[in-house]
Amino acid sequence: MSGNSIWIMIIGVSLVSLLPRILPVAMFSRYEFPEPVKRWLSFVAPAVLGALTAISVLAPEGEINISIQNKYIWAFIPTLLVAIKTRSLFYSLLVGIVTMALLYNFM
Amino acid sequence: MQTQELKQGINDSIPIVLGYLPLGFAFGVLATDVGMSIVQATMMSVLCFTGAGQYIAIGVLQAGGAVFTIILANVLVNLRYLLFSTSLVPYLKGHVPTATGSILSYGLTDETYAVAMNRYQQHAPTASYMAGLNLSSHTGWIASTLLGAILGSYIGDTDRLGLGFTLPAMYICLLVLMIRNKPDVIVALSSAFICLLIGYLMPATMANMFNIIIATIAAASLGVFISERK
Repeated sequence: MSGNSIWIMIIGVSLVSLLPRILPVAMFSRYEFPEPVKRWLSFVAPAVLGALTAISVLAPEGEINISIQNKYIWAFIPTLLVAIKTRSLFYSLLVGIVTMALLYNFM
Repeated sequence: MQTQELKQGINDSIPIVLGYLPLGFAFGVLATDVGMSIVQATMMSVLCFTGAGQYIAIGVLQAGGAVFTIILANVLVNLRYLLFSTSLVPYLKGHVPTATGSILSYGLTDETYAVAMNRYQQHAPTASYMAGLNLSSHTGWIASTLLGAILGSYIGDTDRLGLGFTLPAMYICLLVLMIRNKPDVIVALSSAFICLLIGYLMPATMANMFNIIIATIAAASLGVFISERK
């Protein structure tokens, strides 16, 4: 692909990644959502995090991998326990990263 | 400009930046591998800020695919931000001016969304906090891309450092913090299950993240249903 078409690609991708993010905030800010819609929207965050956690742990390479070879599942366990116990992002990351490094080098 | 809020935003972006480093770095390496210049690779991270979408672009370029295919795939990949952005509106209203809010929303990603939502459960949003969080996350993404594009050929495997688990660990902790009651638990678990089920039945949705959109819509609706029955 030539340099020019790469630039066209970059601009195109930029537009389609920019618009979905800025349009809702730009358009709906004056609009008051009805109560049921607000409640629905309040569940979006836990739903998104549930889905992201599942994918990042059970399909770390992009394909679903539920097996004992999947290191992410092993690192998930201590990280979850520490997150529940400490409710601290710092300690959760620390334990997750250290566990993962150990698994990579010794498993 | 509220300095304290700005600092808090920058502070909260540190784990995100840490998680982006290997991803942005790898993108820089791969982008130059498929024939993009260092400037193009870096500018793509400046203008696009869509990890999954940028990786798809590399994949299609490598396979000799068309620009149109890349853009269409990116429409799908970025569609979930419509949902995230809309769900932020009730929080931002009355706290962040519309124009400022929409410009700063360009820095909306899965990670900045999760961190911001977590913050807004307890604190009112401010433009300064949004700026600190979104701009430093974006800067981390751009810097790691540039680093990857320049140094790519010299550095080997970053997986050994365990950094690959930064973002999963962050999702896990934010999920735990986000859960306030039983409907939240049910919503999160059913979203996880639906998302994997769809990904299993239609593997293509794993690449364009469409399964996240379907799972979120279904699970949030279930949440409204069970919270209304009580």
